[in-house]
Amino acid sequence: MHRAESIDDSASEIASVLVVMQASLSLVAGLSALPFAIVEPGFRILGILTILLASAMFWLARNLRRGRRWAWRWLVALELLSLALTVLLSLLPIGAIRGPVPVLVNLVIPVAVLVLLAGARSDARRAA
Amino acid sequence: MYDIATDHAGGLTAAFLLLLFVFAFVGGLRLMAGHGAVWAIRGSQTYRGTTSITKLAAALMMLSGGIHLALVPGHDDITGLLFVIDGLGFIGLGFLAFITTWWRRPAILWLVATILAYLVWVIAGWETPDQVGIACKLIELVALGLLMRLANPTRRTWPRRVWRATAFPLMVCVTTLGIWVGGLVHPDALHAHAGALLQPVAAVATPEQQAAAAQLLADTRASIARYQDPAAAIAAGFKPGPASSAEPLRHFENSANANAVLDPNRPQALVYAQTTHGLQLIGAMYQMKRAGQWGPDPGGPLTQWHQHEGICFSPFGFEFSFETPFWTCPVGSTSITTPPMLHVWIIDNGKNGPFAADLDKTVQRQLTGRS
Repeated sequence: MHRAESIDDSASEIASVLVVMQASLSLVAGLSALPFAIVEPGFRILGILTILLASAMFWLARNLRRGRRWAWRWLVALELLSLALTVLLSLLPIGAIRGPVPVLVNLVIPVAVLVLLAGARSDARRAA
Repeated sequence: MYDIATDHAGGLTAAFLLLLFVFAFVGGLRLMAGHGAVWAIRGSQTYRGTTSITKLAAALMMLSGGIHLALVPGHDDITGLLFVIDGLGFIGLGFLAFITTWWRRPAILWLVATILAYLVWVIAGWETPDQVGIACKLIELVALGLLMRLANPTRRTWPRRVWRATAFPLMVCVTTLGIWVGGLVHPDALHAHAGALLQPVAAVATPEQQAAAAQLLADTRASIARYQDPAAAIAAGFKPGPASSAEPLRHFENSANANAVLDPNRPQALVYAQTTHGLQLIGAMYQMKRAGQWGPDPGGPLTQWHQHEGICFSPFGFEFSFETPFWTCPVGSTSITTPPMLHVWIIDNGKNGPFAADLDKTVQRQLTGRS
């Protein structure tokens, strides 16, 4: 990997910590769905999918720290998707976002990761 | 399930004001440095020379410290004293981050001790987990993750590498589970069970309220008697909810009745039990239009409404689990809060009574063979 293709260290370090945080929260959500799978069979699939997604996010965070551009691209896509879904759900009258915790977890952290990823890329371009 | 405790609301205001103060302080420092003040130039240089990770970790610790100090007035026992120590410790360590090199390890210890102490308090029932407390733990966990990234490992042995890779996720998982256990073991008085929040009502029903509750039960029973046959309900516009092997009760909803308010002639849903002999009508469900909009309770504490919150609902069939304290759900499901509802059970509902949020377990077992 050429230095010009890698991304800024501090921004990507902070972004990777936030992604690990998100992955850990997803991991718990996935694990917590498994007991419900005893009575709700569909949650077996959703729980396993969530655990796989969390594992992928750990892997992406690791590779983001190593300056891999593909990890950067995947994370941007994932965060954008997550943010779009959150905005969409918050527009529905289902009480999906109520209080500071869901705002921090579902809006502030994804936005912060995107801002950091964008900053990391522009810094890398300047360095190149 | 996790609300904002009244005596914790000040913590949110403090967090907002502290952020404004920090921005103003940094701006002021730059302004004074621009005017040639020596102390401001020195401070500004120190700030600029600090890495972004250190700055963010210090800011998050100060934020947590500010929130802890703002919560002291609502906690006049030992917890209040610990909040003072904790808050001052965080703010002190936040400042030390800019002027010392040894601050990282004490800060990690302080963060871990604070998070673990919170878990002990919550599991022991000395503190109810609410959104301010959980948000504060989220801030502290991010600060902890940043501090762990600041480590400069000299020995790169495999056990150390594994520990470095797993310690932070493990701490996040332990924190989530600890808060969850505390919340489930010690639900507050308004939670009938996990996920059901009850309408606040008086403790004792007056004779008038008892009469009104009996009237509501009689009117509902008389009104829905015509729907004993599910086909009659369907013909009248009630749509059967999805059948689930896990849920022995089925709700038939009528969207045409959405605007009615506690009208026995126009209930929002009918409730049937899936018995071995087919569907049996066991009650009606009244529902308001919006979450948080409690309905009229003519029977006072006897006709207490409830709403379900903190549920991860999956549209792939009628399936659900509970969301984590950090408001996360499995992929493919989303957190929902239902509008308040009031069940009226027209069968004998055992010790739970005719307006309980849930069907009595013994009654349900007798009806459906499942609990």
